[in-house]
Amino acid sequence: MIAWVCPDCGRRYAYEIDLCMACRSQVEETNPSRGAVVAVTRVDTPSRGHEDVPYWTALVRSTHGLQAIVKFDHAVDVGEPIVFEPAERAASLARVGVIGTGVMGRGLAELLLSRGHQVIWCGRTTEALDDAKARLLERLARVMDSAEVRVAESRIAVSAKYEVLGECDVVIEAVVEETAPKQAVLREAERHMRDDAILATNTSGLSLDELSAELHRPHLFGALHFFNPATRMRLVETALCARTSQQTGDYLDAFSRSLGKIPVRVSATPAFAVNRALMPLLNEAVRELEDGVASAEHIDEAIRLGLNHPMGPLALADLIGLDVVVRIMDNLVQRTGDSTYAPRPLLMRLVAEGKLGRKTKEGFYDY
Amino acid sequence: MAAFVVGAGKTRFAPTTKGLVHLAAEAIDAALVDAELTYADLGAVIVANFVGGPNQGQLHLNSVMAGLFPGLHAPSWRTEAACASGGVAVHQAILALEAYDPILVIGVEKMSDVATTSLTANIGMAGDAMLDQAAGLTFPASYALVAQVHMACYGTTTRDFELVSLKNHANARLNPLAQFHHKDVCQADIDAGPTVAAPLRLFDCCPVSDGAAAVILSKRPRGERSVAVLGTAVATDAISLSQRESHTSFAATKIAAERAYAMAGVSSREIDFAEVHDCFTIAELVAMEDLGFCAPGEASALVREGVTLREGRLPINAGGGLKAGGHAIGATGVGQIYELCQQIRGEAGARQLTVTGVGLSQNVGGVGGTCAVHILGGAS
Repeated sequence: MIAWVCPDCGRRYAYEIDLCMACRSQVEETNPSRGAVVAVTRVDTPSRGHEDVPYWTALVRSTHGLQAIVKFDHAVDVGEPIVFEPAERAASLARVGVIGTGVMGRGLAELLLSRGHQVIWCGRTTEALDDAKARLLERLARVMDSAEVRVAESRIAVSAKYEVLGECDVVIEAVVEETAPKQAVLREAERHMRDDAILATNTSGLSLDELSAELHRPHLFGALHFFNPATRMRLVETALCARTSQQTGDYLDAFSRSLGKIPVRVSATPAFAVNRALMPLLNEAVRELEDGVASAEHIDEAIRLGLNHPMGPLALADLIGLDVVVRIMDNLVQRTGDSTYAPRPLLMRLVAEGKLGRKTKEGFYDY
Repeated sequence: MAAFVVGAGKTRFAPTTKGLVHLAAEAIDAALVDAELTYADLGAVIVANFVGGPNQGQLHLNSVMAGLFPGLHAPSWRTEAACASGGVAVHQAILALEAYDPILVIGVEKMSDVATTSLTANIGMAGDAMLDQAAGLTFPASYALVAQVHMACYGTTTRDFELVSLKNHANARLNPLAQFHHKDVCQADIDAGPTVAAPLRLFDCCPVSDGAAAVILSKRPRGERSVAVLGTAVATDAISLSQRESHTSFAATKIAAERAYAMAGVSSREIDFAEVHDCFTIAELVAMEDLGFCAPGEASALVREGVTLREGRLPINAGGGLKAGGHAIGATGVGQIYELCQQIRGEAGARQLTVTGVGLSQNVGGVGGTCAVHILGGAS
């Protein structure tokens, strides 16, 4: 909250000016830090710059009687006291590297572009990158006009060589969900990054200590687990490894918030909080299908309506990718020693047949 | 000051494939025919348009519209005051009659060809980009805050908003130029509407419309169908709610109304019917209070008693208002003048009211940032 007040006549201006419009005295800037909510509305309709709904917009009055409109990502009540914090700008203008051209790599690139970031996008081959970029621009064209798409396009740079990551403030790795390839990519990325840049992995729950074992700057490393589709899902699980610094953790949270996400800190345990609860549900739905409890459609419909989930577990598995689901389950078995997490035979069979869900147009459903 | 509306024309307000100029031409033609004039008779042309810049990438509309009048070369300009562009343009025309006579005011807007998120952002340009828009205060959110304070202060309920919506939708069924002319809106539709910004739901909000309206003003009446302008006034206020003391009332409306009543020599009690700026249902309640139709906080009582229905003592938005008639932004204020004229001349067809001696229009830009009030009466 900021206002310019005339010391002589007390008139208040919401805009930066030099002289009071009435008495021509030099106005003084004032920044009250405390106030209370006068009125609030929960907004359910997205608009440009406010894509994530719901959010809450409130009219707030300071102890000095100054007023401001303030946005919140959580509900506030009339009368609730508010402390204004200085805006966190550091995270908002970052140049961000994304490694990986899969579903999550593309989703992250789209999210970052829609939030105004510069994106340096690395992948294994130029062909894969060009293809991923074309698909991303196609998606953007559905929600932006052509001029906006051109601006977004000018903010992406793609490269199969990691040298370009030297320009980044943050790099998010989103390659295949297996320890060895992730280790190799993280090591290579770190080699080219600035020595104060932050490196994050989008792992859904591999061991962070293993992933960071060979890093030279593990204090600048942590996990930002985004959910698919990254542009729409508001949760980011933040997990830190034993050697991650406090500042890196704070930065990762602030960075998530600057993207309109809500970070939740979880400890670096297998599959974190969400997937550890989700995988047994998906697996059990597959077992229901194996046991002939109902058709895939009916299992999904029952769970959608019965548990009030927006999407059934089999459709969700198809969306995530059955190969990814199997890898997460295998990893849970391996790291917990609990074989009840093991993927069901039907799931293994579909993956063996190359039916990986939506991305191959065939899984539990045809697309 | 002597001013008469000597001709009026309007297109339907509703999404259409017709472009900006095409829509304008239709309304202008209707107004010229109504006035029994040709464009060669025009002394000046004022174009009211809000969002053609960002929507169509088209500014300098006075010169664009000159293409409709080959050889005229009349003085002409574009007026922009957000959703009050039309009302402010009519006010300017009345003042300018000293220099030019007759004057055509053409209000026009094209919105349906723009993607919703872009359109919301473009309409948001009527708010303060820094103080309001950056904090997510879209227009529905602005009026939602007003509604929240009004409810807390006066005990107004969402049921009162629903009654306004139901009334205006019922009125639109009688108006062939209304956007919702062909659609019955009942309680079940309202109940099914999602929340836009609490407490406002879908059927508390006016729709996205294309459309144009034109009026021709002159110092002298042209026959018995001319309608006298008794009062005209414009007032403004800082746009951001954060710069206002009251959030249940718009000072711009109150002040414009006082001036217009004084000029017309009438009081609020002498108004027979009104077209008010119900971009959101709460706005109709606030307008009733600010225009002096009742004391602050009492609008909902009038609505509950049916006073503002077609059959009531003070019919409001008998043409469907912005809510159900459509809100082709730059055209809205001009369309209100058209509606007053149709009623006063007894030419409103199925929606004709019985007592239409003196009518009032209230056209608001932003959340009470600009307000134009006109009082018309007595076919000459």
